[in-house]
Amino acid sequence: MDVSKVLRESLNELKICDNEDSVQTIRVKFLGKKGIITDLLKSLKNLNEDEKKKFGPSINAAKEELLNKINNKSLEINNKTINAKLSKESIDITFPPPASNLGKIHPISKTFNEVIEIFGNMGFSVAEGPDIETDFNNFTALNIPEDHPAREMQDTFYLDQKDDSNKSFVLRTHTSPVQIRTMMESEPPIKIIAPGRTYRCDSDSTHSPMFHQVEGLLINKDASMGHLKGNLINFCKDFFQINDLKVRFRPSYFPFTEPSAEMDIAYSIVNNQIKLGEGDKWLEILGCGMVHPKVLENCKIDSLQFQGYAFGLGLDRITMLKHGLTDIRSFFNGNNNWIKENGFSLARV
Amino acid sequence: MKFTYSWLCDHLDTKLDANSIGDVLTNIGLELENLTDYSNTHGNFVVASIIEFKKHPNADRLNLCIVDDGFKKYQVVCGAHNVKKNLKGIFAKEGLYIPGIDLKLKKGKIRGEVSEGMMLSERELGLSDEHDGIIEISENIADGTDAITALNLNDPIFEVAITPNRGDCLSVRGIARDLAAKGCGVLKDLKIEKLKSSNFDSPIKWFIKEDNNSCEYVLGRYFRNVSNRKSPEWLTKKIISIGLRPINALADITNFITIDLGRPLHVFDADKIDGDLTMHLSTEGNKVDTLDNKNYKLSNINTIISDSKKIHGIAGIIGGLESGCSENTKNVFLEVASFKPSGIAKSARSLGIFSDARQRFERGIDKDFIEKGMEYASSLIVNCCGGEASPVINAGNLQSTPTFIDYEFEKFTKVIGFSLESSIQIKYLENLGFKILKKNKTDCTIEVPSWRNDVESPIDLIEEIIRLHGFQYIQEERVISTNEEKIKIKNSPSNKKHKIYQRLKKILASEKYQEIITFSFHSSLSHSALKGSKSLRLSNAISEEFRYMRNSMFGNHLNTLEENRRKGLNQQSVFEIGPIYQDVSLQHNILSIMTLSTKNNNTVFKSETYGFNELSSQISTLLKELNFDIKQFVIKRSENDIFHPGKSAELWQGKNIIARYGAIHPFIVQKFTKVPEVYAAEIYIDNLPLDSIYNNKKISYFESSYPFSEKDFSFIFNKDQNLFEVYKTVLGIDKKLIHEVDFFDQFYSKDIGIHKKSITFRIKIQSKDKTLEDKELEDIFSKVIDIITNKFDAQLRN
Repeated sequence: MDVSKVLRESLNELKICDNEDSVQTIRVKFLGKKGIITDLLKSLKNLNEDEKKKFGPSINAAKEELLNKINNKSLEINNKTINAKLSKESIDITFPPPASNLGKIHPISKTFNEVIEIFGNMGFSVAEGPDIETDFNNFTALNIPEDHPAREMQDTFYLDQKDDSNKSFVLRTHTSPVQIRTMMESEPPIKIIAPGRTYRCDSDSTHSPMFHQVEGLLINKDASMGHLKGNLINFCKDFFQINDLKVRFRPSYFPFTEPSAEMDIAYSIVNNQIKLGEGDKWLEILGCGMVHPKVLENCKIDSLQFQGYAFGLGLDRITMLKHGLTDIRSFFNGNNNWIKENGFSLARV
Repeated sequence: MKFTYSWLCDHLDTKLDANSIGDVLTNIGLELENLTDYSNTHGNFVVASIIEFKKHPNADRLNLCIVDDGFKKYQVVCGAHNVKKNLKGIFAKEGLYIPGIDLKLKKGKIRGEVSEGMMLSERELGLSDEHDGIIEISENIADGTDAITALNLNDPIFEVAITPNRGDCLSVRGIARDLAAKGCGVLKDLKIEKLKSSNFDSPIKWFIKEDNNSCEYVLGRYFRNVSNRKSPEWLTKKIISIGLRPINALADITNFITIDLGRPLHVFDADKIDGDLTMHLSTEGNKVDTLDNKNYKLSNINTIISDSKKIHGIAGIIGGLESGCSENTKNVFLEVASFKPSGIAKSARSLGIFSDARQRFERGIDKDFIEKGMEYASSLIVNCCGGEASPVINAGNLQSTPTFIDYEFEKFTKVIGFSLESSIQIKYLENLGFKILKKNKTDCTIEVPSWRNDVESPIDLIEEIIRLHGFQYIQEERVISTNEEKIKIKNSPSNKKHKIYQRLKKILASEKYQEIITFSFHSSLSHSALKGSKSLRLSNAISEEFRYMRNSMFGNHLNTLEENRRKGLNQQSVFEIGPIYQDVSLQHNILSIMTLSTKNNNTVFKSETYGFNELSSQISTLLKELNFDIKQFVIKRSENDIFHPGKSAELWQGKNIIARYGAIHPFIVQKFTKVPEVYAAEIYIDNLPLDSIYNNKKISYFESSYPFSEKDFSFIFNKDQNLFEVYKTVLGIDKKLIHEVDFFDQFYSKDIGIHKKSITFRIKIQSKDKTLEDKELEDIFSKVIDIITNKFDAQLRN
């Protein structure tokens, strides 16, 4: 029994292997169920104790050595194969990918969300109303009767269709009719904001026939102008993210509020850019006031028991101010380049 | 409302300068829009004479002038047609800023000739739009005099926005009164001399017909032998100072009194009037030429003034052209009237006339100033034009009763939020001319002055008080959210909807869709292409582009995509969440998406072509995100003409449409763009049940540690077989064991028949509590084959 000869023979054969299959053939030939070394091990049982002691360890050692060498060879071949593959697989990493961006969210959408959230934190829930309104809801109920000069302040779009009182339907000129709808449908306390589309027939770089407003309404037993002022200043600080925002309230006139006020934000021009919040110039930002008792009565709310305030602000305007945009028309013409430049990526919404 | 500082000082004795007055105006609700003070900007321009000039050698229309400003001579190139020797004008040296054209003058050559400055026009000085030649200055003024002195520019000009409730402040006196009430000075007395009448009766009488809707009371006075010459210098200066053009004394006087005292009046050339004058309603179709050189067609809501033959004016709005006063006017008839605001508003609005008279009458004028106005105007006429006046005649009745308001002082605290002593409250009201009639500790009765017809209730008084006291003293109170309100917000359907919209927007943006917002209107073209159920047509649209309320966003979006495509953008996906309109009271918020995809020829980065299946997968993803499985809806082919009949679908739940999507019909596409194929979808988000979207129940996913088996089946179905039904049927065969049905292959061929389709799907089978044996699997497989072949008239393929 020449163990060393068998081992030598097997190692020689292994040496010339160059692929995994031939390695496995050698494994089977020597170490398989019927392999040469396996047979040698099996034949031990026919030997006496002395012979067993003589041949046993050397056969086992040979088996051990061959197994090791086979595993090493296998590993070597695997490495070689993968390395060979890698060297062939190099691709051109400089081929420029085509321009491709994720979509962007429209600046107005972002403002909508911020406004809903900020007022939400102050307890205002969202209310809605239709864009096509009755003359009554848009004007009369808001204390703007037919011949009121204030009707001239607003260039109204009319539809061909007429309502039950034979008045043409209008496109709402402000979100204030939602006030009327809410007060008609619910009892105080009322605390709502109504963001939405509004319309006036006017078109230039600062006026669009369609624009967005948010209306606010708070009715309870003790809401005062002090609350109105605090409420709106807080909103503006939060929205514009300026803590020491300089603002002023000045008297104004709206038929549906009394007293009425407009709120201005201070600004200055620094390097041809508007800097909000400080300076000695003023930007008109919103209109507001205490709900006129006549409006409460028009909506069947007892004006001796309840009072409150309302406000309205242009969402397009505050969006333009916050983000330094100048032409309102570009908001609504779907220009892809504009949206890519001025829209908001998901991470910023 | 425009006036100058010196004009204001005619009525107000004040120590404040123009800037301080401007600040106060805004603070008391008379918003200062503009304060022009030329002394800051025009001090460096000087009077200079053109001492000689000749044609520019290189330009026909230009002249080379030698200009002398009294100190030095300059060569100036000038293109004005009125250049002449010894003309005195306003000269700007090089280096100065020219306000009217926003330019800093640089020394330079014009067509090869040096120009060391500029002779200015009114427009270049920013004084007016006048650009017909350079300004000519009186020869009495010395060269070198500064422009402010030479042109009388040392009087700051205020422009104030007057809100519709403050008709009384459409007069310099009204503004002075408010300023005095605020403590800015003392209101001067208005001296009105009563003019002595001559001993003759007015040959013209007034009549008012009861049925007219505007005029309630009118005064008249006849002036004979007047001479309607140029106004005296003080009057001409005033008229010019606010940018108006002097006409003649009579016209200037009426303009002056309108602006100074807010009291419009009218003068007729009496010789053009035949008989008496009557205020009455027009009949339909009357026409009149008016002083603005226009011709108006009248209707039966216009009150007019006519004699026995002709119409001489639209009452309270504008006078007639024919009886207007000219330099030749010898005899004048003066009208001072009181009109009902509503009648004037209706009448003027129907004609679209915005006159100074209308503006004041429709807000209401001071009814106690009718007789006084007559006297004031009469004196001015006789002073300026000579002649003599008849006694005043009148017609109609003046309805003038003062307004009384009971006012509780505590009400101020309740509305404004802080308390103000009653004595201070009263002081402000008295300053404004309100009379305190009865006063107790807690309340009083107040009489409203005749010029404040906008004040009718306690809340109006509170506004007057806080307006004068100052809005800056209102103390800010915090507004916070109560727990009750937080819960209300959480459950509010509108809040929920906005959250859903926001979620959808984020998903779409992450799938390369750009969010756009387009108008709620669309064009006549879109309207006819996308015919809706009802025509919501705007009567006064800005243009045909925006004529109808949109019943779909596709028209606007196709236009948008086409415009972007023309700029070279071939791959575009857009979406909009917004309203569409089906009827005056039927408005839906929908999600509309549209994709334009032309072939991409990049062979390295290959992009799949976009088609119906990609779109339907997109819809499925969006629905999934809102907790809906697309296959739970009823699907059918869309019969809507907007879509390609073979490549479009609709999803329904009961009577509600959930979505409509597919390729836009080529007939429609070609009306908007040259792209062959456009895919689009409308998702009726508001038709989805909110509760399912907001359901907090978790979707339980099947989870088991035992091995699963998968099996593919291919069946030949009829071509029109609804596979959503097949899906639901397979899933329903054994709900405990069949967990997934995945359709992954489809083909058509002649071999299987042209009315057939071959469909392959894979099912995943797994038990929760054991390893399934082959027998059990086989049972399920044969059940699937049985049911599918029988229920859907299908054959198994091998």
